[in-house]
Amino acid sequence: MRFTSVDFLLFLAIAASIFRVIPAAWRAAYVLIASYAFYCTTSPRGAIALAAATLFTYAGALWCERLQGTSRAFALTTAIVGVLVAYLMFFKLVVFVPHQGITSWIVPLGISYYSFKLISYVLDVYWGKMPAARRLIPFAAYVAFFPQILAGPIQRSDDFLSQIGNGQTVLPAILRIAWGLAKKLIVADHLATAVNYVYAHVSGLHGGWWIGFYIWPLQLYADFSALTDIAIGTGRLFGVVGPENFDRPFNSTSISEYWRRWHMSFTNWLADYLFMPLRMATRKLGNVGLVMSITINTVAIGLWHGIAWGYFIFGILHSIFISFEALTAKRRKRLSKQHPEWEPARNVLGWFMTFHLVCFALVFFRAETVSDALYLLRHVASHVADFRGIFEPEGLNSARAFLIGLLGYALLELCERYRPDRWLAQIRLSGPRYLRWSLYASTALVLVIGFALLVATSGEPKNPFVYAIF
Amino acid sequence: MTETIEQRLNRVFQEIFDDDSLEIRPEMTADDVDGWDSITHIVLIAAVEREFKVDFTTAEVTGLKNVGDLIALIEKKTSK
Repeated sequence: MRFTSVDFLLFLAIAASIFRVIPAAWRAAYVLIASYAFYCTTSPRGAIALAAATLFTYAGALWCERLQGTSRAFALTTAIVGVLVAYLMFFKLVVFVPHQGITSWIVPLGISYYSFKLISYVLDVYWGKMPAARRLIPFAAYVAFFPQILAGPIQRSDDFLSQIGNGQTVLPAILRIAWGLAKKLIVADHLATAVNYVYAHVSGLHGGWWIGFYIWPLQLYADFSALTDIAIGTGRLFGVVGPENFDRPFNSTSISEYWRRWHMSFTNWLADYLFMPLRMATRKLGNVGLVMSITINTVAIGLWHGIAWGYFIFGILHSIFISFEALTAKRRKRLSKQHPEWEPARNVLGWFMTFHLVCFALVFFRAETVSDALYLLRHVASHVADFRGIFEPEGLNSARAFLIGLLGYALLELCERYRPDRWLAQIRLSGPRYLRWSLYASTALVLVIGFALLVATSGEPKNPFVYAIF
Repeated sequence: MTETIEQRLNRVFQEIFDDDSLEIRPEMTADDVDGWDSITHIVLIAAVEREFKVDFTTAEVTGLKNVGDLIALIEKKTSK
């Protein structure tokens, strides 16, 4: 079930209404049932794998806790994490070798996300950061939580378990969902058609390759952050506030800063559970250890999206960028202290460089083949104005639609700077119940009408979320 | 007079973050120090290990919440 489908909005309306009226003690169990119901609409077989992985990890963590302090705890933790990583890797690899007679295998939905939740949970228990969950139902709800299962954000178990059972917050939730739908349908989808066209005809274009270079990252951001907005808003309807995933990443002035502001729940996860242990293991190797850890980490980021050369090159490029920044950090800091008057110029240059390097690496991420990526990069600056061939005269791929997408993107950046949804959500609603609920209902109605209008004017939203496949 | 743990640690911080005016406080976190991120964190940890001739485990390092925790950990390790 897609987040931008009418089916999903209906499912959500019914599930959230029932959540409101059931006793607080049943909420965790209810969220669990709703999550598995959601999961089964797409992948009933995957639900069995999900349940098995959940039970395996639940029991494993309890056992691990009992062995805590003994040498066997390390062996057991390694074994559990090893099984979970193998489980993830198996399905990631299966997708890319369809000719080996295992095409009937279906990759369990959301496996990239829920296996990360399971791995960090086991490590948290092993490191003594939290006790192993005693109650199976809230834990299983954590793993299967439907707002987060398709594409995150990756919430930590202690954060989730401390919130499950809370009541819903309606207005901030609806506003956040509306914000996400608008970003997806008005900005991302209007930009997507031109970007898709460029990447589908890289060597056949007469010009306009810059769209693949500059506009693709904007589309990806609008698309992926919309998915997170909908996930966080939906989570709030079930009492759980998930972690943020983006903090206006294209305003970063360095690549390291960019990674602290892009897909944050994922990069923070890697920083804690991959980079930190790697750095601890290599800390006596000096800069060699540092570069090695950075490279393993960024290549893991790339290959997590799938096993392909483009993702690998994407990871290697970021490893070069981040290593360069880390190795020159002290020198650059000293230089900027000696010349404080350069600060504004340094920020502008830092922003310019960062944005271009991010775009550069993302071309490899998006292009069908590495040679397509290289072709596009070689032609970025040629025939810049000759992009009319990319647009069809009518439909979602018209020049007008593209312009709507661009203007929408500008508005998006402006809104995210001032976050109108946050102060709107902070309005304390007092007054009789019927008045509050009339407001909630009318907000939801506006959302549904707006959605219907968008669908009616631009055709059924046909672009799936980019990150829904990872 | 011998230096206290806090004074020695302060020296390590000043050296790693290249800032002679840096004064550590127990409640200080990575957010309070310019340049203290996941990359410099372990550089700092390795320098602390060298200074105090101790060895930390990954579990100990992940449990640190602020400078106070780090001081407490050093005290625990050096008093053994």
